[in-house]
Amino acid sequence: MAGVKALVALSFSGAIGLTFLMLGCALEDYGVYWPLFVLIFYVISPIPYFIAKRVTYDSDATSSACRELAYFFTTGIVVSAFGFPVILARVAVIKWGACGLVLAGNAVIFLTIQGFFLVFGRGDDFSWEQW
Amino acid sequence: MSGFLEGARCSECMDWGEKRNTIASIAAGILFFTGWWIIIDAAVIYPNMEEFNHSYHACGVIATIAFLMINAVSNGQVRGDSYSEGCLGQTGARIWLFIGFMLAFGSLIASMWILFGGYVAKEKPIVYPGIAVFFQNAFIFFGGLVFKFGRTEDLWQ
Repeated sequence: MAGVKALVALSFSGAIGLTFLMLGCALEDYGVYWPLFVLIFYVISPIPYFIAKRVTYDSDATSSACRELAYFFTTGIVVSAFGFPVILARVAVIKWGACGLVLAGNAVIFLTIQGFFLVFGRGDDFSWEQW
Repeated sequence: MSGFLEGARCSECMDWGEKRNTIASIAAGILFFTGWWIIIDAAVIYPNMEEFNHSYHACGVIATIAFLMINAVSNGQVRGDSYSEGCLGQTGARIWLFIGFMLAFGSLIASMWILFGGYVAKEKPIVYPGIAVFFQNAFIFFGGLVFKFGRTEDLWQ
């Protein structure tokens, strides 16, 4: 039951983040949809972690070079998601207000993804089929 | 009471020790990719050759290659106490790391040269691309240093 509650809370915050992103794109003052490309960053941000988890088998080591490389790339994707709307605003493709809304959406959604891994990423015996 | 405090402090210390590699990796990632986004910013705002000569991008590329070279060898391989010898052994690892650090320092110095020789000394009206090149290389350089020396290899065993 705790898993379901966490899932509902995480999906709520994810929806809030996407709302911020869409507000930054679709408000009448802004109306430019280029910031939607940050969705790509949202999708690919957990992929290095998945790859590292599959590659490194021994779980008794507290860390490994592969997992740290995965953290490095994930950080890079997150930084890119924040840098992209700033660049768009600097070349005046989007307005600074839209950039702020997209950055807020970024923060909420990456916190959601982080929360997803904190809640469901623990314990290997907890599989996806259980809920 | 005192025992409780002691336990809390010790557990925090342990937590930091286990999280150290993760934090160093994240800090290095922030530095490295912030550097690249700075140069993307400059390249997008000044697309012309007069304001921002495109050959200046080579500096950041060399810094990135140096970053990869520095972090491709572990400290254990250089010291010679790793389990496997690798393809070139300890000497090869040392030469590889030496070349990597030479490229890293070289790109940092070259970026300063670009800033001063290409923009400040010529008294160009727009100096921002030179500053962007310098900051890009500085961020990549320090990101590489954090990724190399901020992590400890004791956690890998």
